[in-house]
Amino acid sequence: MSRSILRSVAVPLAAVILGLLIGALLIVSQGASPIAAYSSLLKGGLGDGDALLRTLQKATPLIFGGLAVAFAFKAGLFNIGGQGQLLVGAVFAAAVGFGVDGLPTFIHLPAALIAGALAGAIWGGIAGALKATTGAHEVIVTIMLNFVAGNLTDWLSANPWKDNSGNNIVARTPLVEDSATIPTLGAVPVGFLLAVITAIGCWMILERSTYGFEVRSVGQNKNAAHYAGIKVGWIMASTMAVAGTLAALGGAVESLGVDGRFEAGVNVGLGFEGITIALLARANPLGVIPAALLVGLMEAGASRMQFKAGVAPELIDVIQALILFFVAAPMIVRWLLRMRQGDSEQLRLGAGWGNS
Amino acid sequence: MASKWRQLFALLAVFGLFTAAACSSDDGGGVSGGYTIGLVTDTGKVDDKSFNQSAWDGAKKGAANIPASATASYIETEESKDYANNIQLFLDDGAKIIVTVGFGLGGATIEAAQANPDVLFIGVDQWQNEALPNLVGLMFPEANAGFMAGALAGMLTETNIVGAVLGTDLVPPVVFFKEGWENGARYTNPEVQTISTYHPGGLDVAFGDPEWGATTARQALDQGADIIFGAGGATGNGALIEVAGEAGALCVGVDQDQWFTVPEAHSCLVTSAMKLIDIGVAHLIAQAYAGTMEGGNYFGEVGLAPFHDFDGVVTSEMRSTLEEVMAGLADGSINPMP
Repeated sequence: MSRSILRSVAVPLAAVILGLLIGALLIVSQGASPIAAYSSLLKGGLGDGDALLRTLQKATPLIFGGLAVAFAFKAGLFNIGGQGQLLVGAVFAAAVGFGVDGLPTFIHLPAALIAGALAGAIWGGIAGALKATTGAHEVIVTIMLNFVAGNLTDWLSANPWKDNSGNNIVARTPLVEDSATIPTLGAVPVGFLLAVITAIGCWMILERSTYGFEVRSVGQNKNAAHYAGIKVGWIMASTMAVAGTLAALGGAVESLGVDGRFEAGVNVGLGFEGITIALLARANPLGVIPAALLVGLMEAGASRMQFKAGVAPELIDVIQALILFFVAAPMIVRWLLRMRQGDSEQLRLGAGWGNS
Repeated sequence: MASKWRQLFALLAVFGLFTAAACSSDDGGGVSGGYTIGLVTDTGKVDDKSFNQSAWDGAKKGAANIPASATASYIETEESKDYANNIQLFLDDGAKIIVTVGFGLGGATIEAAQANPDVLFIGVDQWQNEALPNLVGLMFPEANAGFMAGALAGMLTETNIVGAVLGTDLVPPVVFFKEGWENGARYTNPEVQTISTYHPGGLDVAFGDPEWGATTARQALDQGADIIFGAGGATGNGALIEVAGEAGALCVGVDQDQWFTVPEAHSCLVTSAMKLIDIGVAHLIAQAYAGTMEGGNYFGEVGLAPFHDFDGVVTSEMRSTLEEVMAGLADGSINPMP
């Protein structure tokens, strides 16, 4: 058991190390000190309670976004729609958060989360249902639904749900009620705990339930799954709905726990980072947690790295890209570590392509 | 065997790097100690050849001009939800003056100023409804800048039609630019007709829609306008570039000298209606250091950019009229928005 865990983390771990080392060379080439840069990065992300809070806040939507991609991977589906699913989750959670008052927290907060989750389930489910019934490729459909979600949420926050307090001119909703706000325990946002529990839940469903077995069977071989009596169409549609729910929960937690409202334009890109996280985690729901923490730490520390060490925050993007490169091209890492071909489990990225 | 050694070596190297990183203090190369000035950009870069860059130039000038050995440093905001975090990083670092750039940071700046009465804040383009003693909003009389540009346009137009392609009227400075522009054109050319169009979209798209800007500029050209004012970020830039494709037509930029920011418009760009953000920021930093900064709002200077390739087109008569206009605006005898 421990040996297989070691094997499965070897490539991502080596990829992270290689990414950081090459990043250090880039920092030197800019005339800065990599030790100063990485130490200010660490301090900015872990140095004190505020820094830890920033890291955990950044990691939370990444966990949800990573799960949304990883879960769909297991059924052989490539969910590029995390961004759109996150946006609808964020706006509908905010709507219940500010639109209803007089409820106690233990009803209001779950209701707001469920509203966001349902919106995401529908948004992801559309792509899954189209795939199951018409064969429309989920990559195309989810990409297009991202645009629809972007415009829909812009419109909702600029028109019916706009914040008309003061002389506000920004497309945003009013602040959510206190009773729908996700609290923070010291340096730990409760949303982060929710994300960790969700990740464990996803792992349990995928690895320990009949439904999870069916999902994985469809991912490994659709035809074999069909002959084994699994309802392939239902599995694909429901998997996308689950994936949409996961991404949308990330958006809901942003609205209710970080931003305090939905504002057009502030969640740009969050949903796409889920793809990075899922790749780094090699589509393992539990691996999503450390992957998101790593990326969250880098993003939280980047500002401090910029003004302390004079290193542009884009370096973080470069390091992330390098890490992904090494994860996606494991031959290089295997050669460096002298691993045999079969030692590391292959991640099947292409399962969704061309085999429908 | 060799691979084991290789792995061990790699592990040691990485471990060493991280131990060094974790144990070393990052204060040496940074700004701590002494008088520090922090600048937080809006979601943009300090070399954006625009708003943020002007403000950063001003912060550097301001730091160089004050007697203490002051250092200025900046944080580029990557996501708008980090406004407060980035301000807090400078506060934790003991910054004495914090400059926040842009309308978007207004709320976060007010909160930080209330929580930190000992730190002085300068908010560029942030109108203060209620004055806090340690926060000054750097505003600009955009109507004056628009008026100067309009006065020049009124003299330059041959068809007696001038156009303006504008960001949203939700943002007051855009409205001031437009009103000033139209009134300025009428001031030097009572015959002039104006075609001014606001972007119909919300704040999130109105300044980032160069296609709409180009189409709208084209419509104004088709209706006979021969000089067009593009005021509205990328939307306005789209208009400038469209006008550049029309032989004989002129265009006017906004905020900075757009000769440097939109080189595609060289063939039409006669001037730009500028807000001198760098001078304003440097001036307020000097005041803050001297302890004479007053909370509330401070109006910076505006002006016209050099004429560059069109130096020969602007006659000495026009120049003297422009000087009269500027003098009139300065002493209040001309009201740009009657």
